[in-house]
Amino acid sequence: MTNPYQQSQQSQHGAAASNFTRRTSYASVVSGSQQQQQQQQPASRSSALGFSHILDPNPDTDLDTHNPYYPELDRLTPHYPNFTRINPPAFLAAGMDMDAGYTSQNNGNGYNNNNTSSGPWPPPARLGSNFPMSRAFDMFLNKEPLNFPDATDVDNATHTGAGAGANPFLSGGGTPNFLAPSYLRGTSYLSKLEEQHRARILADRERETGVMGPKAQTRAGGLATNGNSHHTLSPMAGKVHAGGGSHRGVAFDVVEKSALSQGLAEEEVSPLPSKWNKDDRETSLELSADGYEVTFTGRMSSDHEASAARADHHMNPACGVYYFEITVLNKKKSSANDDMPPIAIGFSSQMAALNRAPGWEPESWGYHGDDGNCFAAQNVGKAYGPKFGPKDTVGCLVNFRLGQALFTKNGKELKMAFRDINFKDCKAGKLFPMIGLKKTGDHIWANFGQQPFMFDIDNYMRKQQKMIEDEISRIDTRILAPDLSETELIQQLVLQFLQHDGYVETARAFAKEIHAEKTALRLDPKETIKGINIKDDEDANNRQRIRRAILEGEIDRGMRLTEQCYPHVLKENEQVYFKLRCRKFIEMICKEAEMNLKLEERNRKLEEQRRKRGLGDNDEEMQDEWDDEREFYILQLGKLSEEVLEYGQELRGEFSSDPRRETAKHLDDIFSLIAYANPLQVPEVSHLLDGKGRVAVAEELNSAILTSLGKSSRAALENVYAQTSVLLEDLAKDGGPGAFVTLEGIFRQIPPSQLL
Amino acid sequence: MSNWQPYQQGHLDPDFAFREHIFAQFRQAAQRQSQAGPMNSSTSTATAKHAFEARLRDTKTPKNDINALILDYLTMEGYPGAAANFSKEANLAPQQEDPSIKTRQQIQHAIHSGDIETAITALNALDPDILDKNPELHFSLLRLQLVELIRQCNGGDIAPALDFATQQVAPRASMNEQFRTDLERAMSLLFFDHNTKLSPELQDLLSSDLRRRTATKVNEAVLVRQDQRREAAIRALVRMRAWAESSARSSKKKDLPSDIDIGLSDAVEFQELTETNGHEPMITT
Repeated sequence: MTNPYQQSQQSQHGAAASNFTRRTSYASVVSGSQQQQQQQQPASRSSALGFSHILDPNPDTDLDTHNPYYPELDRLTPHYPNFTRINPPAFLAAGMDMDAGYTSQNNGNGYNNNNTSSGPWPPPARLGSNFPMSRAFDMFLNKEPLNFPDATDVDNATHTGAGAGANPFLSGGGTPNFLAPSYLRGTSYLSKLEEQHRARILADRERETGVMGPKAQTRAGGLATNGNSHHTLSPMAGKVHAGGGSHRGVAFDVVEKSALSQGLAEEEVSPLPSKWNKDDRETSLELSADGYEVTFTGRMSSDHEASAARADHHMNPACGVYYFEITVLNKKKSSANDDMPPIAIGFSSQMAALNRAPGWEPESWGYHGDDGNCFAAQNVGKAYGPKFGPKDTVGCLVNFRLGQALFTKNGKELKMAFRDINFKDCKAGKLFPMIGLKKTGDHIWANFGQQPFMFDIDNYMRKQQKMIEDEISRIDTRILAPDLSETELIQQLVLQFLQHDGYVETARAFAKEIHAEKTALRLDPKETIKGINIKDDEDANNRQRIRRAILEGEIDRGMRLTEQCYPHVLKENEQVYFKLRCRKFIEMICKEAEMNLKLEERNRKLEEQRRKRGLGDNDEEMQDEWDDEREFYILQLGKLSEEVLEYGQELRGEFSSDPRRETAKHLDDIFSLIAYANPLQVPEVSHLLDGKGRVAVAEELNSAILTSLGKSSRAALENVYAQTSVLLEDLAKDGGPGAFVTLEGIFRQIPPSQLL
Repeated sequence: MSNWQPYQQGHLDPDFAFREHIFAQFRQAAQRQSQAGPMNSSTSTATAKHAFEARLRDTKTPKNDINALILDYLTMEGYPGAAANFSKEANLAPQQEDPSIKTRQQIQHAIHSGDIETAITALNALDPDILDKNPELHFSLLRLQLVELIRQCNGGDIAPALDFATQQVAPRASMNEQFRTDLERAMSLLFFDHNTKLSPELQDLLSSDLRRRTATKVNEAVLVRQDQRREAAIRALVRMRAWAESSARSSKKKDLPSDIDIGLSDAVEFQELTETNGHEPMITT
C-alpha cells in the first residue's frame, strides 16, 4: 500500500523528533521535518493533494532562517532569510534596521533556549498541519476527500500569527486565525484565549456537521478531536484554570462539568486588541488595511481638538504586560521644515472623548509626536522623550502589575512615562489602545502583535517573569508545614503520594532510602533512627495490580481484578466503566494497526531484497515462502478486524441508549478509528491510541476505588498542585504577579518521560 | 458589534438577552441583600472555603504530570532504589541511567555521613574538573571536613584538625575574604566546649544541616556539569504553592479561606506510616 520510500521518511521523522529537546517541541520539529521531506522529495510539493498547501512551501533548509511562525508570510514571500524582507509593508522597507533587532535574537536565542516560551520565536505548534504520511494515504483521500485544511485549522490557527485582518472572535466564516503575540506565549492568559478559541472552532464545526449526513458527522467528530488535549464540547466547557491543562496531553479527556462547576465557571476571558474599532473612532478617521491603518481625512482640527480611535478590545490586565506599536506612514515633507506631525499614541477608557488626543482627557494617557511630551489626563504635558514622525515606530507598554506605562521609539525603551496608575480606579474600568491624529496626511499603521515588534518586548517580559521567579525561589516553605524543612516536606509529600496511589514497592524503597539518609546524617552514632514501616496494605497491593494490568493494555484483566476486589466500584462509576470498555476497543485497534505495520515492514524488506538480488530464478521460491507468511498475517488481521467490529457493535449496543452527549461523541470518536487503514500514522487520530490514554483510565479507576474505600481521591501532592493552580488564577486577575508564572512553566522543565 | 455576538454564540432567541439581563439584575440584588444582611465572619469564611474547594475539585491534576514530577524528584535528588521501582510500577522509562543516579547518591551519602574524604575522591573520579571549576564548592567541602575533624577531637587531641586546617584549608582561604571569615569561625570551634551554649553561627556549623546543605550543593554542581537542571521540579512547585498563598494573603484577596490545608496531616493516610518499633507517627529526626 505504501511505497518503501515513504517508509523511510517515517523513520526519519522519528529520528528528527527525538533529537529535539522538549523546548523545541512541536512545530520546530514539524517544520524541520517538513523541510527534510521537501528537500528530498521536491515533487511532493506539486502533488495535487487537497492539503498540500499546508505543507510549508519554503524550501529553505536552515531552521534558523525559516519562519515557522508566519507561514502565511512565508508563502507570500518564499525565499526570505529574515524578517526584514518577510513583511515589507512598503513604508518599512527603507531605512529601518530591523535585521539588527530580530535576526540576531533569532540566532542568539536559537531553539534550544531553556526559557519559557516567551523567547522571541518560541515553538509554534503546527502539529495539526504535519502530515508526514500524506501521500501514503492518497488512496483514502482520493476516494473520500477528508476536509483536512479544515481539520487542521484548530491547531494551525491557534499558533500562527493573525494574518491579514482575521479577527477570530468576530469573523464568521473563512479560516479564523488566532492572535498570539510572542511575549505572551506561555502565559496563562494566552492559554485561556487559545482554549476558548479552540472550543469555539469545535463548537462551530459541530454546528456545521449537524447539517451533514450521519456518516460525515461521525468522521468530522473524529477529526475535530485532532491534537487537542482538552476535548471541549462547548464554549462553556472551554474554561481552563491557569495551569490546569496537562502539557503532556491526556489522550482523550471528555470534559465533564457538573451543573455546579458550570455555574462557577467565570466569564470568558476578553480577547486581545486586534485592530482599530470602526465603531469607536472619530468620524474624520478612515480605517484601512483590515483595520490596522488609520488615515486622517477630515479638515484640520482646531488646536484643542484631535481625532482619536480606540482598538476593538480592551487591554486585559490579566496579561500582566500589554504592548502595541504604531508606525507613522506620513509622507516626509519636502521642505526643510522638520516639524513633526501631531500624532499621539496612548490608551484610554471609553469615557475619554474621541475628539481629543490621548492624554488630554480624564482616564486617558498619551505620548505626542509633535513635542515629545507625555500627557496624563490633562491638557498640560510634561517633557518626556524625543519627537516622532514619518517612518518612526513608537510603542506603548503598560505594566499592570507595577501600575506603570512607558513608550518606545524605534525599538528603544524610553524612560518611565506614568507611574502609580491605579487601574482599578478607572470609572469606566477598561482601557483601550488609542491613537490620535490631527492633520491631513496623518497616517499610521498599528501592530497589535500580529507581527514581530520592533522593541524587544519579549526580553522585557522575561525580565518581569524573572522578578517573580526570584521572589518565588526565596520563599520559605515553612508556611505550609511549620515543623518541616523544605526537604522534609517534599520527602513526606512524595512518600504520602506513593502510599496513596498504591506504589507499594516504590514507597518501601523510598522509605528505606530516607532511613539510610537520616542514619547517615545523625551526629551521635549511638542514636537510633526509627524506620518507617510501610505496612503491607492489601488495598494498596490490589490497586497496584489493577493499575499494572491497565497500563499493560490488559483491560479485561484489570476489570476482572476490579470486580474481584471491589465488586461495587464499576457499577457505581459508570463513566469509569464506560472508559474502560472504550479503552479495550482502542487496544484492539492498536493491535490491528501494529500488525498492519509489521505486514508493511515485511513487504518492504522483501522488495528491498528482491531489488538487491535482481530478478533471479530462485525468486519464485522466496516468493512462495513469503506468500505463506503473508497469508498468515492476513488471516490474523482478518480475525482481528472481525473481533474489532464485533466488539464495536457490542459497545454501541451497550451504550447507544445513553442519553449523554459526551458518551455518544466519544463513541463516535473511537469508531472513526476504523476508517483508517493505519490510524497510528494519522496524526489527526493517533493521539487516541496514545499509551497515555491508559494512564488516564488507570488513574480514574484508582480514584474511584479510593473514593469507594472512603479515602480522599487526591494525595497531598495533588492538593498542592490544584491549590497552586487556583491561587495563581486569583493572582493573575487585575494584572497581579500570577500573570507572570504558570504551573506549566514548572512542568515544562522536566525532560519528557517515556511510557514503557 | 455587541448586537450580533449573541447571534454568534448561537442564541437565536431574541428574548435571550433580555432574560439574561433580568437574571443578572436579580443576581445583583440578591448579592446586595446578602451582603447587607447580618453576616458573621464564620459564615463568610465558610462560604469562601466552600467556593474555593469547589474550584479545587474542578481543577484537573493530571497524573501524567504528577508521575513525571515524582520520577524527576527521585532521579535528581538521588534515590536510585525508589526511582527504579517507580519507573517499573508507573510504567515510565527511567529519566537517567541507574549508575548515574547511584554515583550521585553515594557521594551524597558520604557527605551525609561526614566522610568528606571519600566524597571528594568519588567526586574527582566522576568529574576531575568539577572542584577546580567550583572553588567555592571545594572550600565548602574542605571546611565541612575540618568541622568533622574538630567534632571528632572534641576534648581530645586537636592536632589532626590543626594540621588539616593549616595544610589544606588555609592556603585556599587566604585568597578570599569570605573564605577567611568562614575558616576563622570554624577554627573557633576548637576553643569551645560543644556541649555548652554556642552562638547560633557556631551551632549551625555543628548541626547535621551543614552536611545536608553541602551535599545538596555538591549534587547540584554535578547535575549542572552534566548539563542538567540544578534541582528537581517539585521544589519549584512547592515553593510556588507557598508563594501563591502568601502573595494572595498579603494582597488581601477576598474569598480566600482562612487556612488552605495541603492534606499532609490527614490522619487517615498517615496511620499507615506507623513506626517499626514505636507508636509515634511518621519520621522523627
